[in-house]
Amino acid sequence: MTNENRQEVLLKVDHLSQYFKSNKAVDDVSFDIKRGEVFGLVGESGCGKTTTGRSIIRIYDITGGSIYFNGHRICAGLLEYENAIREARKELKETSDPERKGQLKKLIDMNRAEIKRAKHDHKYSDRDYADELVKKVKAKYEEDVKKANGDSEKLSKLNKNYRDDLRVARKTRLITKIQMIFQDPVASLNPRMTVQEIISEGLVINGIKDKEYIQEKVYEILELVGLTRDHAGRYPHEFSGGQKQRIGIARSVIMKPDMIIADEPVSALDVSIQAQVINLLNELRESLGLTILFIAHDLSVVKYFSDRIGVMYYGKMVELASSDELFKHPLHPYTKSLLSSIPLPDPRSERVRVREKYNPLQAHDYTVNKPSMREILPGHFVMCNDEEFKAYQKEIKEAE
Amino acid sequence: MDKILEVKKLKIAFRTNSGALKAVRDVSFDLERGRTLAIVGESGSGKSVTSRAIMGILAGNAIVEGGEIFYDGKDLMRISEEEMHRLRGDKISMIFQDPLSSLNPIVKIGKQITEAMLLKNKTSRREARREFKTILESLNENMILALGNGEKSRIDAMTKTFDKLCIKGTQLENDYNNAEAKAQEISSLIADFLFRVEKKAGVSVANMRSEAVRGLRRMRNPLLTGAFNAKLDEHADEINRLTKNTEMLKVSKVFEACRNTLEAILSQTRPDFVAIGYYLMKKPGTNVEQMKIEELNRAAAEQLENEFMTEFSRCTVKALEYSANRSLEKKKAILPVLEEAKAFYEAEFSKKDGLSYAKKLIKKVEDSIDRMELVKDSAAYTFRTSITNSIEKYYKFLRSNPKEEARFARQTAKRKRLVDKGKHVTWKVVPKNVYDLEELRDGVALVVVRLIERYEAYIKSFSAIDFNHRAKEMVDLLRDKASQVVYRVTKTMAKEKAIKLMEEVGIHEPRIRYYQYPFEFSGGMRQRIVIAIALAANPDILICDEPTTALDVTIQAQILELIQDLKKKRNLSVIFITHDLGVVANIADDIAVMYAGKIVEYGTAEDIFYDPRHPYTWALLSSMPDLDTKEKLDAIPGTPPNMVYPPVGDAFADRNKYAMKIDFEQQPPMFDISSTHRAATWLLHPSAPKVETPKGITDRIARMNAKMEARNENGGAQA
Repeated sequence: MTNENRQEVLLKVDHLSQYFKSNKAVDDVSFDIKRGEVFGLVGESGCGKTTTGRSIIRIYDITGGSIYFNGHRICAGLLEYENAIREARKELKETSDPERKGQLKKLIDMNRAEIKRAKHDHKYSDRDYADELVKKVKAKYEEDVKKANGDSEKLSKLNKNYRDDLRVARKTRLITKIQMIFQDPVASLNPRMTVQEIISEGLVINGIKDKEYIQEKVYEILELVGLTRDHAGRYPHEFSGGQKQRIGIARSVIMKPDMIIADEPVSALDVSIQAQVINLLNELRESLGLTILFIAHDLSVVKYFSDRIGVMYYGKMVELASSDELFKHPLHPYTKSLLSSIPLPDPRSERVRVREKYNPLQAHDYTVNKPSMREILPGHFVMCNDEEFKAYQKEIKEAE
Repeated sequence: MDKILEVKKLKIAFRTNSGALKAVRDVSFDLERGRTLAIVGESGSGKSVTSRAIMGILAGNAIVEGGEIFYDGKDLMRISEEEMHRLRGDKISMIFQDPLSSLNPIVKIGKQITEAMLLKNKTSRREARREFKTILESLNENMILALGNGEKSRIDAMTKTFDKLCIKGTQLENDYNNAEAKAQEISSLIADFLFRVEKKAGVSVANMRSEAVRGLRRMRNPLLTGAFNAKLDEHADEINRLTKNTEMLKVSKVFEACRNTLEAILSQTRPDFVAIGYYLMKKPGTNVEQMKIEELNRAAAEQLENEFMTEFSRCTVKALEYSANRSLEKKKAILPVLEEAKAFYEAEFSKKDGLSYAKKLIKKVEDSIDRMELVKDSAAYTFRTSITNSIEKYYKFLRSNPKEEARFARQTAKRKRLVDKGKHVTWKVVPKNVYDLEELRDGVALVVVRLIERYEAYIKSFSAIDFNHRAKEMVDLLRDKASQVVYRVTKTMAKEKAIKLMEEVGIHEPRIRYYQYPFEFSGGMRQRIVIAIALAANPDILICDEPTTALDVTIQAQILELIQDLKKKRNLSVIFITHDLGVVANIADDIAVMYAGKIVEYGTAEDIFYDPRHPYTWALLSSMPDLDTKEKLDAIPGTPPNMVYPPVGDAFADRNKYAMKIDFEQQPPMFDISSTHRAATWLLHPSAPKVETPKGITDRIARMNAKMEARNENGGAQA
């Protein structure tokens, strides 16, 4: 991966909100993931890290904000527009100034248009992407036809290929470029399908009918994840936990994704197997140039595996920095408490370890001054208000 | 250090379709009081099975092939289900890995926590009464024997006084407990009331008023010293004056004040009931209300000590000494008999002879037990069941083994015939259920041998016994039992205790949560409930089977702190099962590393983390990243072996890059490294080639040492 590529933003999460009725599972979270990087997301259970991952692959319809993948808006929520319209309406009732009224009406119309666009993007981003692909295929076909110059044999071959390509292009979904690895390898594999069927399912859905091609592909992927060809015909129950997780990884890798969302991929595995899977993910990441969103609660693993880490607390992102930086200078009190509770394989230091407790009501006074994400050092963001911002800056200066 | 639990040569297998799966192969360890033993290993290493055997909750297809678990003079592998039922959850408690399946989904949380408390209370009171009686009777008997028959009337009078004393004391205590329970009830009512006021929910002042006044009037008790009774009257009057038109602020203030008084009562030193009982017996009609509780306690205790206790203790010491001496004589006398028995059981014997011989032996052995001993000698106490069981087991399998073999051979032959004919056979041959007869026979003699060892050790250490100390313990025990008899847990007390426990394990707003169902809790919260339930019964031994694996770091740290804290407070012994080495470092005093049903390394936490010797321990340590790891992880290749066909040699040899030829051929014995540290690997054999500890681990240890030094320096500078 060259440096240049690393700067390119692959996934942009912009003010993402996901509410379940009144429960704000994810509340106004923003971050970018650059191409080729591993972005770790940590936090306690119920803080919304898994929901964030699932929102990105559109398991849920998000409430507010938008998610851009590779420049396309793949998810869009309506919350902020709806709020804007509601407020404008309220004001409209109260105000009597005709000029202001006109402004407000214009604002409402604008937001309505936005809603329309958001709905369209949310629903049809895949179709638009497929349309683009189809257009490309068609253009290529026409060019080829011209090149063939009326050679009937070439033409018939071209036609056949064209039909296949067109079908694949029509069925391609942008979202398949993001794949997910699930926490529980036992529950995430269909016990009635063979490994071959499980791994190739994505390809089949995508419209590929060439059986030999699929077979070859499956073998290739199986070897890539450290299994053998013989394994293709077996059923999931014949495998150990680590091997099942490898199958899960194979299933997501076969679609040639740009990005993988790994939701606690190792926490259900045995100690000796965890290291195998982490090593495998690391190899794949290098050889395929994958971008990974790594969701976990085991901080030592996240630290080992990730380039940057975001810390979430109750639906909000509270701190975001490169992993070394985060562990060297944790600023937000929640991050500090989180880091101080990592158990380390060192009895002497464990015995004297003091766990810092975090109580948001005591730690912050946000009644007057509302907090926001602010950049303390380049690349190191913390959720804080003005006062805290100054305090953090001072703290970091003292630390250096 | 006294051992609270001893596991000896435990062997457990499971019958499965493909044969007997050897889950635990020869595991021995001791658990000392107040310490934490961590068992580390991957799934399938037999760590959970070991702990389940201790709890007596092995699955139905488990075969206990051998071994003993001694606890409190009992062999947990041999006692009846009825007896086990009494221990389980009460003396030995367990926290399970999966909080989802260990809670009843259709019973409210509050009820699930208090259920055990209420049930246990009932039985423990009954039992305590029985035990109190038997101990006192045998004490009386021994006193008479020790001091001669001439003193009989004096001694009888003395034990009678003691019994009376305890009863008087327990009556007082009962009354006091009732008053205290009332106080608790009113206090909790007020707390609920204030909570509702604060949340602006609807409240009825009139109801609360009548409840509180009635309760306060009933609470009066002569032992509520320090003028608390007068104060309670004052509060009652004040509350009586409230009407529904009184300002809410004032209402809460009045109740708050009342609650503070109640809390003060609850937190004051408990009276010394036995002593005060004596005091009141000697000076009936004394008004103790105006005295301070500490003063009263002291005065009463002094009088009791001077007039009665000194003499009673003296006699107790005599009785204990007498009983111990007699038992010593008998033990000395029985040793040659036991040697004879050993010879008898090592030779051939028929079932009838064996059993009748055992019957005679049992009588002698049971006669030699010192019944006045507080710490029960497990081998002697379990002698009856051990020896008869092992003889019967031997003969049972002596009969059934050939039948099993024949059946197995027949079925295999039949299956083979069918297969040879080319038929499609869908059934499998049921694996044979046979025992090693040699081992079973040795087991019979082993029971005797173990008893001989115990007795020899006893005779050797006899001169070191401090009888004064023992007598003190005995009197304490009797008093403790007496107070247990009257300790009645009411529903309100249980509720308050449950709410306190819920607060202790970190559940917010326990008063609301108390009435919720398990599905209303998140996974972490459910696990806390499970821990609260396990702790509610005040167990001696707590077994934690991966309690934090499903939780995230912050909660994990809280739960670990909680367990540590409770361990210190209640002198709890903990068996902690996990695969997370970080957690182990946090909580363990001793560590047993298990692999494929065997303990491969055993030592203190320092031994295992700073001087690991077994290749499997190395692999475990280096396969997980810590915060400074940058290089590629040293994953352990392959998977654990199939325990239906346990490897002949070292089970880890296949995955071990340091494996030698002998590792595949012969199982390594335990090699002692230091007095606390031992490991089972051929690498420790004197003639083994020198293998260096892997670099990743030495680096890590060096890092840890450097960190520790830096911290010490910092600490020094600050001090």
